[in-house]
Amino acid sequence: MSREQLNMGDLLPLLETSDLRQLDEIKGLINEHLNTDRGSVLLNGLVDYFLETNSTQAVHILSSVREPHDKHLFDKMNECMAKAPCRLPTLTLLGHVVRKQPSWIHKITRYPLLLSLLKCLKVNTDVVVLITGVLVLITLLPMIPQAGKQHLYEFFDIFGRLASWNLRNLGHVPEVYLIHLHASVYSLFHRLYGMYPCNFVSYLRSHYSMKENMDTFEEVVKPMLEHVRIHPELVTGTKDHELDPSRWKKFEIHDIVIECAKVSLDPKEASCEEGYASMPEHFCAHLQQRPADCTASPYGDFHSSYGNTLILCEFNATYGFKDSLWSPSSQCGMATPPSSCGMSPNPELSQSASHLPTRLYTGGRYELALSGCVWPVLYFKSLHTSCVFFSDRLTKPFYYYKILFIFILPLEISLYNFPSSILSAAITEELLKLTEEKRDLAGLRGFDSPFFSTTETLTGAQEKPLPSSILGSSIRDPHNTISTPDKIEITPGDRGRVSRGPSQEHPWSFQPVFMPIEHPTHSHLHRSPSAPEDEALKYSFCSPSPSKPPPLPYEALFDLALPRAASLFVGRKTSEIRGDVGKQGEEGGIEGAVSASPLEVLDRLVQQGGDAHDKVLKRLPLPSKSADWTHFGGSVPLDELHTLRSQLLLLHNQLLYERYKREQHAVRNRRLLRRIINATALEEQNNAMKDQLNLQSVDIMSLRESLQVEQQRYRQLWDDRETVVTRLHSQIRQLQQARDDYYTKNQELQSKLQECQKRIGEMEAELQKANNKVCHTGHLLNQLTAKLSSSESIQQQLSFLNKQLLLLGEAHKLCVQELHQAGPDTSKEVQMLQTSWGKETEHLKQNLLLQSQKLDAAQQRVAELETQLAKKEHLIAEQKKFLEDVKAQAKGELQASESRYQAQRRVTLALQTELLQLYSRLETEDSSATASALPAEEDRKSPQSPRGNGSTLLPAQPMASSSPANSVNGNRDTPPPFLVEPPPHRPHSPLGPPGPLVPSDTPLTVGSYPSTKSFLGMRARELFRNKSESQCDEDEAPPPRLTGLSQGLKTELCVEPTAKSTSKNKGCVRQSQWCNYFNYHPLSAFLKKGPLKDAHLG
Amino acid sequence: MYEPRVPRNFRSAYYEKVGFRGVEEKKSLEILLKDNPLDVEKLSTFSQRFPLPSMYRIHVWKVLLGILPPHSDSHALVSRYHLEQFEDVSGALTAMRFVHASTPATELYLRMYQLESRQLPRRSELRPPDDEDENFLAIGRAMEEIVDDPVDCYWLIRCFVNQFKLKFGDSIPHLPKSLEHFLSQEDAALLAHLKTSGALHSLPYCLWFRRCFAGCLPESSLQRVWDKVISGSCKILVFVAVEILLSYKIMLMGMSDPDGVYNFLSNLPQENTDAIVTKAIDLWHKHCGTPMHSV
Repeated sequence: MSREQLNMGDLLPLLETSDLRQLDEIKGLINEHLNTDRGSVLLNGLVDYFLETNSTQAVHILSSVREPHDKHLFDKMNECMAKAPCRLPTLTLLGHVVRKQPSWIHKITRYPLLLSLLKCLKVNTDVVVLITGVLVLITLLPMIPQAGKQHLYEFFDIFGRLASWNLRNLGHVPEVYLIHLHASVYSLFHRLYGMYPCNFVSYLRSHYSMKENMDTFEEVVKPMLEHVRIHPELVTGTKDHELDPSRWKKFEIHDIVIECAKVSLDPKEASCEEGYASMPEHFCAHLQQRPADCTASPYGDFHSSYGNTLILCEFNATYGFKDSLWSPSSQCGMATPPSSCGMSPNPELSQSASHLPTRLYTGGRYELALSGCVWPVLYFKSLHTSCVFFSDRLTKPFYYYKILFIFILPLEISLYNFPSSILSAAITEELLKLTEEKRDLAGLRGFDSPFFSTTETLTGAQEKPLPSSILGSSIRDPHNTISTPDKIEITPGDRGRVSRGPSQEHPWSFQPVFMPIEHPTHSHLHRSPSAPEDEALKYSFCSPSPSKPPPLPYEALFDLALPRAASLFVGRKTSEIRGDVGKQGEEGGIEGAVSASPLEVLDRLVQQGGDAHDKVLKRLPLPSKSADWTHFGGSVPLDELHTLRSQLLLLHNQLLYERYKREQHAVRNRRLLRRIINATALEEQNNAMKDQLNLQSVDIMSLRESLQVEQQRYRQLWDDRETVVTRLHSQIRQLQQARDDYYTKNQELQSKLQECQKRIGEMEAELQKANNKVCHTGHLLNQLTAKLSSSESIQQQLSFLNKQLLLLGEAHKLCVQELHQAGPDTSKEVQMLQTSWGKETEHLKQNLLLQSQKLDAAQQRVAELETQLAKKEHLIAEQKKFLEDVKAQAKGELQASESRYQAQRRVTLALQTELLQLYSRLETEDSSATASALPAEEDRKSPQSPRGNGSTLLPAQPMASSSPANSVNGNRDTPPPFLVEPPPHRPHSPLGPPGPLVPSDTPLTVGSYPSTKSFLGMRARELFRNKSESQCDEDEAPPPRLTGLSQGLKTELCVEPTAKSTSKNKGCVRQSQWCNYFNYHPLSAFLKKGPLKDAHLG
Repeated sequence: MYEPRVPRNFRSAYYEKVGFRGVEEKKSLEILLKDNPLDVEKLSTFSQRFPLPSMYRIHVWKVLLGILPPHSDSHALVSRYHLEQFEDVSGALTAMRFVHASTPATELYLRMYQLESRQLPRRSELRPPDDEDENFLAIGRAMEEIVDDPVDCYWLIRCFVNQFKLKFGDSIPHLPKSLEHFLSQEDAALLAHLKTSGALHSLPYCLWFRRCFAGCLPESSLQRVWDKVISGSCKILVFVAVEILLSYKIMLMGMSDPDGVYNFLSNLPQENTDAIVTKAIDLWHKHCGTPMHSV
């Protein structure tokens, strides 16, 4: 890093190389390094380098550093500001940087640099530093409008200090500096007044109300105030309002500059805009042409439009001549772009024109080379013409000559160096010519258009002296004092105040001529630019080398400014450039345009010219210098060299300042141009619309015509129709009349008809009436005849009835007589009868009553009985239901007991079968054992077996279902006789036990008794008791009881007849079986005795 | 009598949906049983429609089988008679030495039944039990499981067998046909398979229709079938059989041997029978309709 840094440091001197490519490379390297490195080392190095060498390249690089380096730059500059020797270059550098307008410039308010700048301006006594600083400040102010308010009073203080300085000359500086200082203070005044009018005016009011400052005001500030209009803000604004940041927001930098210029009445400062200053028409035209040169890079344009440049050259030529006509020294002004817009195109064009030969024309180069000898001639020529104009204007020709002399003399001196007697001859010639043409010009004056304002002429007039005086001042003191443009600007009416010495009085003496105050008296002097143009053309045609007029003023300027050194320098420069171009030609010619801009070239030129001048001056013997200075009687400064150098510097500074102003104008112009383009476009549009409007109006016209035609036709048609209508109407009327006639006739006829009809109706009514009468009379007649006949018959009846009445009367008399004869006997009998009858009926009635009462009672009784019956029936039904219920219950119980009974029977049956089986087994065993007992047994068996058989026969089902085991028994029981026997046998048993049957009977009886002796008996008894207890109780007389039992059973089981029979049969069977059992069982005897029974029971 | 149960509980409509059966039935049955002359007809209808709660089952059976009369007043008397009758008969059998103390109860019941129906052989001629006796024994064994009291058990067996013979003796031979019919409706494929394999004619019809699944189903399931049989329907037997076939369809389809089918069906696995019976009852309701009260 350090090594690189070192390299970078080493690189810096190389910036001064003449090799463009190397220069580019180095610049690129440094820029690259600056981009990558954020440190301040290289930047500090650069600044230091600049301070040492004043290198333009370093300035270039420094003024275009990027964001992070601004702090370092400001810090470094602040640091340098502290050191007195570095202050000036630092300020210069700051000026460069500020004029470059980097995006970060507004940050300067945050850094101490601004404060140190202000402090420097307030404290420092070095005029050069002050002027430079003030210019920087002026440039800087529009960039920091709102930040400036905190330092506002410092600005004002600076202004006050510098203004008073001018008067009091505190540091006893050379007057030359004072002029510069004054100019810069003037600019500061404008700026401050333009930006902060209220504050500034209040400051002025307060500051110059003090007595000690009054003289300063009188001398310095008052004249300045004369050059400004009343600022609108003074009317509308307030102190606070103008410090409001929002006020500045809508302004760009150039806007602020123009705003400041607007309030100026001084043509140098004033703006041409918005009617503050009118300008010649062709200037405006020229302005419109400018963009072609201005917007694009001038070189590219020159390359591409070669023909154009030629025209421009011619233009320049004319202007150049014009300018030169006004004042030869105005060519210097060409170098510094004048603040007024009207003049701005000229310098550019002249510049470009001046460059044209060097870069484009090979021929031009030679011409340039020749310029050393040729241009002075031309210059003089122009000088003379200008003198002519001056003479035209001046009422006092003496002054003119004086001026001429003043101007010419140094030139002649400088021109002595040129080896041309022709020149002197030419000069004299010119001088002669001038005197001659004075008359012509005077005649021409009458053609001057009067409508050009005085200010315009003033600008034209004043500008010319300005540059010349600058150059002049740079060359010589006397010239400076005479025609310093600043002085002219600042104190146009203040002539001679600053300048001292008699020679200075002369140039100022003619100044009032151009002042607006004196204008009315010198109105004939007004010159329109067209006139000078004409004259310029004239003169250009007269000039020996009219083909190349443009470079002339410029180069002549140098020649004029630097009589000897310039020629040397120009020669060297041309050769240099030629070499460059040759190089470039080798490389491909036109591309060489990459080199620095013309402005830079100019800067360089001025600088290098200054350097060269230094060298030359050093070499020159002092007397010559002193001779020069003393020649005009000006005061000789102590250190001329230093003064000159600083003057040069100041000039350069001012030049830069002016250029900066010009740039601002250029920016503004570009914007205005855009507006103009827009306006023209709109105008075009407007025109097109107007055309359209015209077309449409034409259309409308044609349409109107056709409308009229149509209307006419319509009217005609309407008339036709009207006539037809009237005719038809008349017809209608006639027809209506006829119709009316008919109508009336018709009505008459109809009324007649109605009358007739009415009459007919009446007649008919009469007819009907007559008929009615006839009918009525007929009817009456009939009635009368009927009445007549009836009355006749009634009469007959009357007579008959009368007769009857008579007869009846007689009969009645007879009856009365008979009645009287009958008497009272019959009535008694009747009475008796009646009473008897009454009694009888009474009796009958009583009877009837009785009977009816009885009936009622009986009926009641019946009803009672019926209810009782119903109740009973209900009761009976309930009882029945209950009975049913009970019956069902009993039936259920009975069923259960029945089933129990059945089960018992089954049990006994089973037991019997078992018994029988056992018996059979026993018998088979016994048969083998006792043969003797067998016959007896068989006897017994014989009657028994039939019974068994009978039992099998009678209840067929049980025997059949009782299994085949019975078959064995059946064999035994087969004897049928037993079957027959039982019915007879039964009566036998109760009757008496005959022999062998007795034992068999007894068991039966025993069985029928309540069995107390044997188990089986008990069982049997139980069985019987179950069936009928009552019979069991009556033990005696078993046969009837048995039958009774059977009977009872029969009645009980009457539901099933079959069951009854079976039970009956069963009963029989059982009886018989029991009989058998007791009769034949061997054990029966034993059982009868009881012990076994007891044992069994136990 | 149990109709007015509707307004009693508004949730009752949902009980059946949720699966709680018998909540309402029990109450209505209690109401039925409170009548003094019991309405046998209604009881039988109820038993057909709803499953009987087990605590009332025996009582209802007794009433339906006519063991107990409709009048509850005479129940005590009648049951005393029954007890005496049972004692008598069993005593007689013991006396005749048909039975002794170690004789199994079912045999005792059989002998008693034989005795009461006068079919008791002589002791010397006792033979091994024939088919009918075996049926009786099977039913008796099942009933013995259901009923604890031997007297009740005997009476129930006796009356059940009697009633079954009396009521359905004629229709039992037609039940196989009916089975075939319903099976064809429910699952023709199974029927076809049974027919082709020849197993249709060798199904355990005797076990199913004469023993009423006694010994085939566990008693818990069996009593639900018998509820229906006792209340007068022998069709339920057919549906139980159908349902058994349907439930074991997969296995039956896998068997082609008639004997195998017979053996398998004779020894059914004892699980899942409840579901079979439930389904069978549903099927029965579906095909024969829910028996409604005649009144």
